[in-house]
Amino acid sequence: MTQEQIWQSVLAQIKLNVSSANFATWFANTKISELSDGVLTVSVPNSFSKEWLEQKYKAEILKILRSVDSSIRDIEYIITPSKRALSNNTVRINNEEQLGFAEFEKDEETNLNSKYDLDKLIVGPFNEMAYAAGEAIIENPGEAYNPLFVYGGVGLGKTHLVQGIGNKIREKYYDKKVRYLPAEKLITDLVNSIRENRVEELKKEFKTIDVLIIDDIQFISGKTKTQEEFFHIFNALYQNNKQIILSSDKHPGSIPTLTDRLRSRFEGGMIADVGMPDLETRLAILKQKAEEKGLNISFEALEFIASNIQKNVRELEGALNKIIIVEKINKRPCTLEDIKKQLKNIISIKTKITTPEKIISSITDFYNLEDSNLFISSRKKEYSKPRQLAMYLLKKELKLSYSVIGRKFGGKDHTTVMHACSLMEKEYDQNQKFSQEVDMVLQRIYSE
Amino acid sequence: MKLTILTQEFKKGLNYTERLTGRNLTLPILNNVLLEALPNFLKISSTDLETGIEWWGLCKTEVEGKITIPAKILTQVISNISDEKIEIEAKNDTLFIKTKSFKTQIKGYTSDDFPIIPQFSKEECIEISAQELKESLSDVVDIASLSQIRPEISGIYFVFKKDAVNLVATDSFRLVERTIKSNNYKNSFNEDIKFILSQKTTKEVINIIQENTGVVKIYYSESQILFETTLNEVDHPEIDLISRQIEGNYPAYKEIIPKEYKTRIIVPKDELVKQIKLAGLFAGKINEIKVKNDDKNLEILSQDLELGENSSTLEAKIEGDSTEISFNYKFVLDGVSRVKTKNVILELQGSSGAGVIKAEDSLDYIYVVMPIKR
Repeated sequence: MTQEQIWQSVLAQIKLNVSSANFATWFANTKISELSDGVLTVSVPNSFSKEWLEQKYKAEILKILRSVDSSIRDIEYIITPSKRALSNNTVRINNEEQLGFAEFEKDEETNLNSKYDLDKLIVGPFNEMAYAAGEAIIENPGEAYNPLFVYGGVGLGKTHLVQGIGNKIREKYYDKKVRYLPAEKLITDLVNSIRENRVEELKKEFKTIDVLIIDDIQFISGKTKTQEEFFHIFNALYQNNKQIILSSDKHPGSIPTLTDRLRSRFEGGMIADVGMPDLETRLAILKQKAEEKGLNISFEALEFIASNIQKNVRELEGALNKIIIVEKINKRPCTLEDIKKQLKNIISIKTKITTPEKIISSITDFYNLEDSNLFISSRKKEYSKPRQLAMYLLKKELKLSYSVIGRKFGGKDHTTVMHACSLMEKEYDQNQKFSQEVDMVLQRIYSE
Repeated sequence: MKLTILTQEFKKGLNYTERLTGRNLTLPILNNVLLEALPNFLKISSTDLETGIEWWGLCKTEVEGKITIPAKILTQVISNISDEKIEIEAKNDTLFIKTKSFKTQIKGYTSDDFPIIPQFSKEECIEISAQELKESLSDVVDIASLSQIRPEISGIYFVFKKDAVNLVATDSFRLVERTIKSNNYKNSFNEDIKFILSQKTTKEVINIIQENTGVVKIYYSESQILFETTLNEVDHPEIDLISRQIEGNYPAYKEIIPKEYKTRIIVPKDELVKQIKLAGLFAGKINEIKVKNDDKNLEILSQDLELGENSSTLEAKIEGDSTEISFNYKFVLDGVSRVKTKNVILELQGSSGAGVIKAEDSLDYIYVVMPIKR
């Protein structure tokens, strides 16, 4: 008989003998916490229950216990306050404009925001691998996949996923110390500690963490000292089987100026990508968000939004918010026509308005190049690849003619451009890593 | 049980204890008070399972014993007695009340079902002047958040350091900190004692102090807190208030209090209160008033689309930048009206930073309020 069953049989028999009010007051939320050497320890929610059970029911409970398990000699009570539920719905008493203390929004200890609930994350083919890895981690933190490296474009739910995992772990294991840090915070913490000569202290503090979550890790690119310190922290945690979860907008292989030893460590656990959601998933997301917001909206309308906003989950929510505001102003539900009209500007920007400049600046941003470097005729791979990609995207996205593109790149022949385009096309089809890079560049181009 | 007690005393005891009863529907016994005749003392206890109050009053005990009696009816009966002394006696779960002029019987219950109020180890303790504690608690108790979403900030944060006491409350839009530094304060614990107490219980603490001019002793354990006042006549506790603490860590509130300011305004307090109240009449649904300053004057503006508008100017001592900032007038009024000095200091950090309200020349009161976004 398990410990739970022993206590269940006690509760079942007690219930027959006391009034239901008494039972609810004194026996609800009690459970077995330990059984050793014939002493049974029961956890109770408050000291009133403790006194009551000790003084009024001790004999009766012991009698039942002995009839179930004759080895039990004594019973003790400890107070375990019932864990408060992590609440998700923040009720604002005041109006929207009243500012509050920003420090209070998140959990002091873990830095996690409780609004990120893993159960509310919609799982589809685009993120199921990352989600499954997350579930495995929740089961066995530090043992399943370490580190978990999640990457994907803007607004696809990376932060939701990693914070959701953190929140779940915290709920499940009271004693695990979870810490969520945006990479930026990591950098400033490290910089400050270097300035104040407290690096060792900071490192020591990090080493007590059981689950470390770093968001947007790509920001440490180029920060040599931070990378070095983080490398040591990483190693210390990893060797002690502490879970590390990282998120980034790029594959570790595509993060520029990341030292090799960090890169290989990032790649050493599980790398999971979060891609673009397909139409069905977008619909599911919209449906869920609409329900959360209490918005009554027709299926056709949702389908219209889902099929027109393709590249960013955050924008789906933005579209719904817009509809809610319009409904409030008009004081009537939106029809499909209204919605089409309202979302016209969001969607038309999305569809195809981009410029050669935007494409070029997105590429140079992504590869960390100076704008002008794209136009020098160097055969070095770090320049030639972005250059060819730029030509390819100018052709594909803007349908410019080969000779116009050639002229843009310092009077190159149209055949050069054609060659670049076909090369890229081939790469795109065959090299998965490259195709992901291209998708992310595309997302950048259309994301603002 | 059988005893004789002064009516005045009995009324007092019921007054302290009765407040905890009548809130529980699932367990009717909690609507009762427990009367116990002890040698020389009548003890009255009540509890709502979160807080428990025990009161002792001197009496002439003939037979010891105990009984539980519905609090409401007992209070109503006793409050109508004008004779000086009362004789009470319990027989067969019935309470007989007898005075010179009348007799009453109230049906009670056996005391066996009454919850047991947890006992405390009374080794280490904190001592503080009752009136100082009451006054400071009254300043912070109403600021605590009403929402239960973040249980930590729905309570009052008590910090007993070696040489001073901080009492803190916030509702995430504003925060108040009261400091007590006094010769009457003693803390015999080795470390600082910190705990969060619910707003309801804190109000009970204020209530048990009332006009008591002595000291309050505070005992601490991991999950419980005991406040104790002492009888004037003899060295015996008068009231023990035991409560559980609110679980969780209080936010690092010191970080919220701005250390510097861009604008510092000093104005007479009474004037400011009057002007804010006036502006409040036209503050609209979101209670918005605008505060503006130049080198010499503080201007308070408000506008309600339906009612009209108001503006007033106050002469003030001002250093720093000119600013324009919007506040919820109720929040500002709460902060200013608790200031006890003639002048009040208002410190601002530009139009979207927190405003700080302080008493002039004293460091024992700080009120931080967040503005309304513009």
